[in-house]
Amino acid sequence: MKNKGIVIFLIILTIVIVTVVTLDYYSSKPDELPENPYALNLTSFEKVDNSQIIYTEIRDFTINFSEPAGICCTKDQIYVVGDQKMQIIDSYGKLIHEFKFDQKPTCVYTSAQNIFIGFRKSVSVLTGDGVKIMDWNSFSDSTVITSITEKSGIIFIADAGKRIIRKYNPEGLSLGVIEGKSENEQIHGFIIPSPYFDIAFNADGEFWVVNPGKHALENYTINGDLRTWWKATSVRIEGFSGCCNPAHFAFLPDGSFVTSEKGRVRIKIYKPSGEFLGVVAAPSKFEQNSHPPDLATDNSGNIYALDLDKKMIRQFVKKEK
Amino acid sequence: MLIFALLIFSLEGIAQKQRFPKPEFGTGYSQPTPVTPEPRALALEYTDVFVLLIVLSLASWIAIKNRSRKKMVWLSVFTLLYFGFYRDGCICSIGSVQNVALTIFDPGYAISITTLLFFLIPLVFTLYFGRTFCAGACSLGAIQDLLIVNPLSMPQWLRQILGLIPYLYLSLALLFAATGTDFIICRYDPFVGIFRMDAAFHMVVLGIAFLLMGMFIARPYCRFLCPYGVLLNWMSRFSKWHLPITPAACIQCKLCSDSCPFDAIDYPTDEKLVKKRIWGVNRFLVYVILIPIWILTGGFAGSMAHTWISKANSKVYLAELLIRNPEVQNDEKNLDVQAFLSSGKSMEMLVSEATIIRQKFYTGCWIAGGFMGLVIGMTLLNQIIFRTKYDYQPDKGNCYSCVRCVSYCPVK
Repeated sequence: MKNKGIVIFLIILTIVIVTVVTLDYYSSKPDELPENPYALNLTSFEKVDNSQIIYTEIRDFTINFSEPAGICCTKDQIYVVGDQKMQIIDSYGKLIHEFKFDQKPTCVYTSAQNIFIGFRKSVSVLTGDGVKIMDWNSFSDSTVITSITEKSGIIFIADAGKRIIRKYNPEGLSLGVIEGKSENEQIHGFIIPSPYFDIAFNADGEFWVVNPGKHALENYTINGDLRTWWKATSVRIEGFSGCCNPAHFAFLPDGSFVTSEKGRVRIKIYKPSGEFLGVVAAPSKFEQNSHPPDLATDNSGNIYALDLDKKMIRQFVKKEK
Repeated sequence: MLIFALLIFSLEGIAQKQRFPKPEFGTGYSQPTPVTPEPRALALEYTDVFVLLIVLSLASWIAIKNRSRKKMVWLSVFTLLYFGFYRDGCICSIGSVQNVALTIFDPGYAISITTLLFFLIPLVFTLYFGRTFCAGACSLGAIQDLLIVNPLSMPQWLRQILGLIPYLYLSLALLFAATGTDFIICRYDPFVGIFRMDAAFHMVVLGIAFLLMGMFIARPYCRFLCPYGVLLNWMSRFSKWHLPITPAACIQCKLCSDSCPFDAIDYPTDEKLVKKRIWGVNRFLVYVILIPIWILTGGFAGSMAHTWISKANSKVYLAELLIRNPEVQNDEKNLDVQAFLSSGKSMEMLVSEATIIRQKFYTGCWIAGGFMGLVIGMTLLNQIIFRTKYDYQPDKGNCYSCVRCVSYCPVK
């Protein structure tokens, strides 16, 4: 036969082609698939080196809430909202006061004079004794209030539904909104894929806003002009990951950021510059793929985490060196 | 060309930008290879259509007017680089057949205008100029054509048997696309993985096997698999202007007879052979009468095979699997089963959907089988039909207008 070698070679190639196609066809059936080679092993990211954990849990106390929602604290009192009530408790968990509401609060903030209770679409202003002064109801249907703070007589209300921060005077008069937009193309408003939108002032009076969709914390003037920002996108312990993190944050007296995350639930600390400092509570301390704990801090640098799954307040203090 | 290159690079700037930073998976995670390339900006897609028009125009001009094999080779190189490596081989006219089928049969799917143009433009050009698309504008053709080393001539009987495969492939591709099962032309494109340089190992093996085969059997994919080639073949038979081997009267020198690596040159009719087969009139009538029988037989065979063929559909297969082995629901590693269970659909809904799809396969297999019966009947009929030819001339249906034969012709 002419070209016998080539013909044999071609026959072998034909067999290879048919075999490859046949194997590929049958190996893609649901009961023939190999183990998913692209499964993302998140467990490895939940491990935290002990040397990175710089806080320790010294106390926890169960609270009488079925659905706790928010926490804040003053010098010696802790305010917790959830269900249809607010409890004021001391730093050892002893109940001091309890106030009932006709709807479920989402967040709480205490100023020198007043207590602000955020509900989904309204805000109640109470005196320090818990007497209601007024309700602010003039919000949008899509409003979802997630955080409240105050400075120099201006009350800031984070509206995750509208992706804006509303400003009010103490009488409930609107002073405008902050949209977080800028001519700088890197800044294009707040990206809030889920109702976690936190705001806070640090000890120096700087207004910080979490932009969770960008894994960023942004510093604005009271007028809403962006001053600075930092971000940390990473699946490693040093950063934030997922659609939207951090979910909550608070400030330590030295201006460091305390952050809590959802998905891979954990609490961490970042320097005022945004540099990762260490871990307060590793993922092993929380139920994973669950709710992020709301945070509060006191003047001594204690961190209070409202664990929404275990229905308890957990107190963390810095480890002794 | 320089202006064009500048245009391409300037358009890159307006391509899609990530709204969010990509998740950082720099911790040992290996990302799955995407099945299709990332979407391109609309302006770039229209640029691709424009480039296709330019390349097809050039290929047609080279084939019919300029008749320069060298220029056609350079055009093939450009096509390979642009439509193959730069555009990652997608979307190509060959695969667009499936998009057209899906848009006809699935009201929820709308074909993009650029995909439709990629499907139609080569067909229109072929209707006027022959298969110049295959010669210079198809990246799959180009990569094979450039690697032809020692092409062997295949016996006619083998060519005709293997020549049925593209019809079968086209039938299955349309059936699978119309039922929303799979785009098998894309899935088993042997060269797209090479273009993207990210193919799975077995697809690299497939591509290399085809290229090695192509060193001795010129353009094996084009000749014995390409489903779009079926449509081009039909169009080319009616082409208004087709590449002639000789620019003037053929002097019957036979120099071109062995020049075509694709065995696509028709020889002058052997009158003695025609006379010998004069009895073929009766045979012709028998073959004509047999065609409806072939169609019915093919349709029936297809309908009998529809149950087996429909298992290619993931819903049908999954429904059968869950009925046959209900315990597979507990297999947490079975992604398809777990995806179904977490979808919230009930077993009844899955079975109902699978039944509808299988019914579509039944109808489709009847049509596909009937079509294959028609093709076989017509192929047999063509064995006994003699069209008198006086010169050496290209087989208009199978000629790729590659211009190889032209340089063998001494007539100027």
